Amino acid sequence: MSEPILHLDHVSRYFGGLVAVDECSLSLAEGELVGLVGPNGAGKSTLFNLASGYLPPSEGSVTVLGHSTTGRHPAELAALGLSRTFQTPVAFKELTVIDNVLVAARVERPILAGLAGTWRSTEKLNRERAESLLERVGLGARAEDEAAELSGGELRMLEVARQLYTDPRLLLLDEPTAGVAPHLQSALADLIRSVHAEGVTVMVVEHNLGFLLDLVGRVVCMANGAIIADGTPQEIRTNPEVVAAYLGGDA
Amino acid sequence: MSPLLAAVVSVGILVGIYGVVAIALNFQYGEAGLINFGVVAYFAVGAYTFAILTAGPPSEASLDQYRWGFDLHPLLAALIAGLVGVIFAAISGWPALRLRGEYLALTTFAFAEVLQSLLVNVPAVTNGTSGFANITQPLRGEVGNYNLFLLIVSLALLAVTMLFFQRLVRSPYGRLLRAIKNDEVGVTATGQVPEKYRRQVFFISAFFIALAGVVYVIWLTLARPSSFGAELTFFVWIAMILGGEGNNWGVLAGVLGLTVLDELIGQLPVRSVRGVQMIDAAQVFLTGLLFVLVLRWRQPRPGAG
Repeated sequence: MSEPILHLDHVSRYFGGLVAVDECSLSLAEGELVGLVGPNGAGKSTLFNLASGYLPPSEGSVTVLGHSTTGRHPAELAALGLSRTFQTPVAFKELTVIDNVLVAARVERPILAGLAGTWRSTEKLNRERAESLLERVGLGARAEDEAAELSGGELRMLEVARQLYTDPRLLLLDEPTAGVAPHLQSALADLIRSVHAEGVTVMVVEHNLGFLLDLVGRVVCMANGAIIADGTPQEIRTNPEVVAAYLGGDA
Repeated sequence: MSPLLAAVVSVGILVGIYGVVAIALNFQYGEAGLINFGVVAYFAVGAYTFAILTAGPPSEASLDQYRWGFDLHPLLAALIAGLVGVIFAAISGWPALRLRGEYLALTTFAFAEVLQSLLVNVPAVTNGTSGFANITQPLRGEVGNYNLFLLIVSLALLAVTMLFFQRLVRSPYGRLLRAIKNDEVGVTATGQVPEKYRRQVFFISAFFIALAGVVYVIWLTLARPSSFGAELTFFVWIAMILGGEGNNWGVLAGVLGLTVLDELIGQLPVRSVRGVQMIDAAQVFLTGLLFVLVLRWRQPRPGAG
């Protein structure tokens, strides 16, 4: 078996006296499409932040794409191929929609390139690539609009387009359906499937269980900071602990 | 030269100097969102570095307190002054750039106050409250009308500054800075370290602000702690907000308008000390009033604020 693309080894995270994530261990193999579920406050977002290097673990270790997250700037992990979205979608509101995507474009020696004007030679190709990604997320017609004019759901799709521009190997999506109109959610599911089909490992945090259980092949369920179940959607649906956690019963 | 023409020339020199500072500030705030309330410190560092590097040896007769004058070539001194501005930006930016928004504003303001206090209290280097007088005016005596020459120098520096920043702002680098201003975490997620770019912006601006300080002391021929108070910081901030942050041509118009206004008030005929004080007060009052009015009625930009 090859090395996991993401590995959490007995990871805990405390905020003062609060245990947000409690000794979680989790491995994702390259090419998986995994859902992360759990009631509010279960620790899903904290786990995401630990996995993407935005929070250091209080205990345990996190390895992503073969690198420990300890002491690494999250930007460094992103440059390695770990891409993520946020619960509140990131939007650069002073930029146009296409420029929002192009922020992810890398320019060598940007100050010199800017002064000398040499950036123009690569900009055309970058724009074409950004346009095709906008088409893919359904924002092709909005490319030249100001990002401030987009709806919450559109901003979420824009963020996905920007993150795809970085050529991720591992994509972490934090509640992608939140704010997205119901009739667009099947398009979103198709998009996630097609990204996964290209070989990208995907983990999705989602409250919308109907959406998620149809999408993924494996579901991890958290409650009170701990992983309480890990299995196929069918197993999760019938797991008594999961049902109890969701219904607020005393499991 | 007629008095009117002379006045126009001095306004032109000041517009060049303040214009450079305001455009550099606009790069920090309008593009990258860094609130620097200590602009005058980088200006003063440039001014004093030039003064010290070009000063002759201290003389007993004039009660000089400074110990080192370097008699350096003015062009070399100006270049070093710009670089010392960058070094000061590195020193002040090291703690300050860890902060955001109003915390950054307060820290930069504090740095400027500390610097002014150092200018007064380290006479061995800065010559204390009297500072430096008779600062070297390069090519003095070799050019016909010195102020006209300085006008050309000042506007040339402004033109270079404008070209430099316009090209940067309109390139992917400017796009990245505006993205950092809007959402640093979002930029991090694309694999780029925002802190690195914040530092670059701080350093680049400091270089130009320090150069403007050099032209300022060459024009004034004086470098005194009292010339480098927070007034200059607020002057360029107001000019920038007047013109619309993020828009260099607007900022230039703001600088022009504010400088002319200041000069017009300064030209009012007065015969008493009391009159001079009232004019000083009127300058401060009108500038402040203008600032309040602009803030009240300007068009908000999308996503700003």
